[in-house]
Amino acid sequence: MLALVGHRFTGGTRTVEHWENWLLTDCTGLPQLPDGLVHPIALFHVPIQGVGTSIAELFALGKVDGAGSVGLDGYDWEYFQPLEEDIEYRFDGGVIEVERLVTQRGNTYDRFVFSIDLSTPDAKPVARITNHWRLRR
Amino acid sequence: MIEPATTIPAWSMPDVDPARMKTMAAILRDPYPVHWDRDSVAGLGRGHRVINQGPLNLSYITNMLIQWQGPRCIRRLQVSFADPVLDHESITATGTVTSIETVDGERRATCDVRLERNGESVVTGTAVIALTAEDD
Repeated sequence: MLALVGHRFTGGTRTVEHWENWLLTDCTGLPQLPDGLVHPIALFHVPIQGVGTSIAELFALGKVDGAGSVGLDGYDWEYFQPLEEDIEYRFDGGVIEVERLVTQRGNTYDRFVFSIDLSTPDAKPVARITNHWRLRR
Repeated sequence: MIEPATTIPAWSMPDVDPARMKTMAAILRDPYPVHWDRDSVAGLGRGHRVINQGPLNLSYITNMLIQWQGPRCIRRLQVSFADPVLDHESITATGTVTSIETVDGERRATCDVRLERNGESVVTGTAVIALTAEDD
């Protein structure tokens, strides 16, 4: 697992369409945002998909499978400008940290940290996400 | 005037809906069954109740912030997840301003934020929020 540090995702582009943003916002219980603004919570799945991977592929990369195998430790999300519908953003990132740890109860897990940068088509920074997952062994 | 110790108006989700978790799983392309298959969670000691996605838990905090300072206000979110939220639970997002800074000419509030279930914190963290002139 420690060898995953430095692993780079393929990278790529992704656009958030109106229907997706509508459903996403509706799931949160908030009325739709004005002016084609994307709900801020899109910074979970849009970077993962935009960088050319998926939650399933990240599970496979981290060698976890099944209920109870994954937990969330935390997120650090920086917003440099709001995300908007129908803009083709650029995504680049990779695995920045893996650490094997043991809980007080003696259960082993890997702290798995990846970071992805979002930018506009003309390379202006839009956001940076750093996600900390707990992969249980 | 917003200043340190200002309380952010709370935002509540009175009934976490498992149907929304299913829609969310499809949007996220999330194969983790604990969000949509009650049988998968039976062995986790939490009964037959599916687990809300972490991003949805965080969304209740972002909704509170948007309700307070508008849809373009969020500059940074740093959060930790303490305990899962289960279907049909009632939860509330709360927050308090801890400091005020001016960055690049923009007045910003750093805030402690929490998602609470019966007074217990299930998500905690810090948010940096741009204060809009009309509300400040």
